[in-house]
Amino acid sequence: MAMTLSQLVLRSMKKNIKHYYLYFFALIFSVTLYFSFITLQHNPTVLQATEESERAPAGFGAATYLLYFIVLFFVLYANHLFMKRRSKEIGLYQLIGMTKSLIVRLIALENIILFVCAVLIGMGVGFVSSRLFAMILLKVLEQDVVVSMSFSIEALQSTALVFGILLVIILIQTAFLIHRTSLLSLFNAAKQADERVKRFSWIQMIIGAFGLVLIIYGYYKSSSLFTMDNTQDLFINMVIILATTIGGTFLVFRFSVAFLMNIIRLGKKGYLNLYDVVAVTPIMHRMKGDAKSLTLITVLTAVSLAITTLSYIAYYSTGTQARIVSPTDLVVYDEKGEAFLAALDEKQIPYEMHAFDIRELSFNFKDLIAVDSTGSPFATREGFVTVLKLSEVQQMYPEYRLSRNEAIIMNYVGTLAKLLPIEAGITASFWTENQTYEFKIKDVEKEMIVGGALSSVESPILIVADEVFKELPMQSSIFLKRQYLVELDESYVEVATTLYDEMGLSEIVVNIVGDNGGSGSFEYNQKTYEQARLNLILAVGTDIFTAAFLGLTFLLATGSILYFKQMSEADQELSSYTILRKIGFSERDLLKGIYLKQLFNFGVPLVIGLLHSYFTVKSGWFLFGSELVVPMIITMSLYIFMYAVFATLSVQYYKRVIKQAL
Amino acid sequence: MNILVARKVKKTYGKRNLQQEVLKGIDLEVEKGEFVGIMGPSGSGKTTLLNVLCSIDKVSEGFVEINGQKLQRMKERALANFRRKELGFIFQDYNLLDTLTVKENILLPISISKMSRAAVEARFKELVTVLGIDDIISKYPNEISGGEKQRTSAARALITNPSMVFADEPTGALDSKSATSLLSNLAHINQEKQATIMMVTHDAVAASFCSRVLFLKDGQIYTELYKGEKSRNEFFQQILNTQSVLGGDGYDA
Repeated sequence: MAMTLSQLVLRSMKKNIKHYYLYFFALIFSVTLYFSFITLQHNPTVLQATEESERAPAGFGAATYLLYFIVLFFVLYANHLFMKRRSKEIGLYQLIGMTKSLIVRLIALENIILFVCAVLIGMGVGFVSSRLFAMILLKVLEQDVVVSMSFSIEALQSTALVFGILLVIILIQTAFLIHRTSLLSLFNAAKQADERVKRFSWIQMIIGAFGLVLIIYGYYKSSSLFTMDNTQDLFINMVIILATTIGGTFLVFRFSVAFLMNIIRLGKKGYLNLYDVVAVTPIMHRMKGDAKSLTLITVLTAVSLAITTLSYIAYYSTGTQARIVSPTDLVVYDEKGEAFLAALDEKQIPYEMHAFDIRELSFNFKDLIAVDSTGSPFATREGFVTVLKLSEVQQMYPEYRLSRNEAIIMNYVGTLAKLLPIEAGITASFWTENQTYEFKIKDVEKEMIVGGALSSVESPILIVADEVFKELPMQSSIFLKRQYLVELDESYVEVATTLYDEMGLSEIVVNIVGDNGGSGSFEYNQKTYEQARLNLILAVGTDIFTAAFLGLTFLLATGSILYFKQMSEADQELSSYTILRKIGFSERDLLKGIYLKQLFNFGVPLVIGLLHSYFTVKSGWFLFGSELVVPMIITMSLYIFMYAVFATLSVQYYKRVIKQAL
Repeated sequence: MNILVARKVKKTYGKRNLQQEVLKGIDLEVEKGEFVGIMGPSGSGKTTLLNVLCSIDKVSEGFVEINGQKLQRMKERALANFRRKELGFIFQDYNLLDTLTVKENILLPISISKMSRAAVEARFKELVTVLGIDDIISKYPNEISGGEKQRTSAARALITNPSMVFADEPTGALDSKSATSLLSNLAHINQEKQATIMMVTHDAVAASFCSRVLFLKDGQIYTELYKGEKSRNEFFQQILNTQSVLGGDGYDA
């Protein structure tokens, strides 16, 4: 042979660079993400910052595995796609008399060169970007420190090992694919069309309709997943929901899409417009082959979007969650509280203060909640509810009004409130040792009015009219008599917090009276608002960071795969575009169809993925935080934006193909 | 009346040093209702000439006029529009879209025109009956034979009632029976409907269906033959004689 193998490899790589560069970039990108993620975990500044968080190492560990699977899936898929595109080339090599083992060696050599380059470049970029990621992480954790650069040997080893294994897997896959291609692949084009174009039968249409029903059923099921009456079947229900939505998604892609399009098409009786020709009919006929990968992409999109949204909800809600611990900047109680206020006066720190007298009433939780709560441990128990005076609450919420027989519920938010909702309008009885009151619950307000010491399980707080309040005795179980909510100017928060800690105000001894009449006490750590918030942020900050990191990787992987698919689809459709341009359709006419096609190709997986994740998040978001709309809109917009970028890229590719078509 | 006029048409390929002149100044007129054949050895420029005349390719020098409109002056969009409305095409490899049924393929050119549905439907019925494909209109191209594909392609070319139909080796991939049936169909439509047809072929039998045959050699018109009152068989003999004078070498048949 005149040319050596390596020369041949270099030459064919040069020729294929146009197809390669995307695969190459994808590979570099995977290495970059992986390497910087590992480096980040070994960065001393990051280690120090996450020291207190117990969840961080476990979270990072799990994320690393997930990241590896994404990368594995992505690279395998991309390789498969690129090998398919080169089947003609491989057939040609065989035709001129190369043995399959020689071709395998040729492609293997190419892959090795590609991998080594990608890993080297990726590590270089990853080293730099790891600092960026570390800075983002510390910013998320609200820690003001300078991030040092550190090269991590562990990261180097781990990346080399992981991508080495990946390379071996790719080589095996390649060898397998080459072994399977026969010389006939040379003449594949015609055969592919034969396989692609099939008639649509009624049975397929029925299965298609069934797919839609399955998804709707899954959504319906998910909306009632976390209600108290079916906690027993939670696991079974989850399995049912997963099976119906994923199965339904597959059926939708495999049958429903073609089914719906075919109905529209049949209705046109042969008079198709250009959209139908360029977008609708190719999509219909491709669905059979694409269904599996589109299902996978959609489900992965939904999962990653849901995870990102949920962790963002947790992060975004830290502000409101901290209000449960401390409704205002500081909460102080009783004599110690008065001493603290005096100290503030002495130091001439200005503040705004609302004082509340505290009483309590006995009640039965069951009477208050709207849903049937049989079997729930919270529901049957009798307990005490903390009671506040209307006139004092009016200091902060002057619009509240009550008559003697009315009461307002406050402070009732969070998981418990979602599982056992209290509805306004209900009448329930409350009692002291010698008197019983009937109150109509006028309103259920989401605002916080007491510190965590008084509402440790997010239990409701009752507001009653002053005349009723006066009648209530100080019961023995009451451990705190007076609460002071303190609001400070931002610039004084720090000084006041120091004073708060110095005076030991956070240690509060809580006396409790048990159901059996016995009593005990525990110490409650009443944090300031800012302390509570930072605590929460440290707990969920690494979660949101890891979730976002994984989400980004998922997004890039799925987006690239859709783009790769469109590239090879465009190449396959080239002959159709040539025909259409010959018989008199302009580039602009065809492009209109292409826009529609891309809208479909990227839009449908995105929309179904968004819907899936919407219903996933909706079913259980309140377990993660207290704000739904804003975090969901933000993460979803980010996803839509990234998909739009990929769609634009593939439109550009189609533009080139169409331009070259004539 | 001349429907197509070409003057001093030249076509060169390649850059300066490697320039190759494929068409070396061709003058040509086609009258309404003519069935013109273009023959010549391979490499003589038949397909290039057809592509230039039908606006798929651009001339390097000279001009082409169809129905009084100079193609050189038109922009890409206008040309595409012109092709769709005024011209019909039949290609050797059928050029049907796999994903469309026969009917959808035939109706493709009118997909963005404003012709009335009833008129199109009537014309469609007429064409598929004449071409004998009325029983396969809901099949996909991969379910029908080569001859049927080419007749589908012919129906698509004629559905807009074009000023002119261009056919590039329409019988090239057909067996002789299908070829004869297609050509007699074309000849019939040419006579009945006064459709102007220009066809590139290397097959003397196919050419004998034409009313006039041009012979191309080395990018120039070498000679032309008129059928006149001759029978098809006599015309066929005359074409064969001319071919042998031109030199049998290099025929790609």
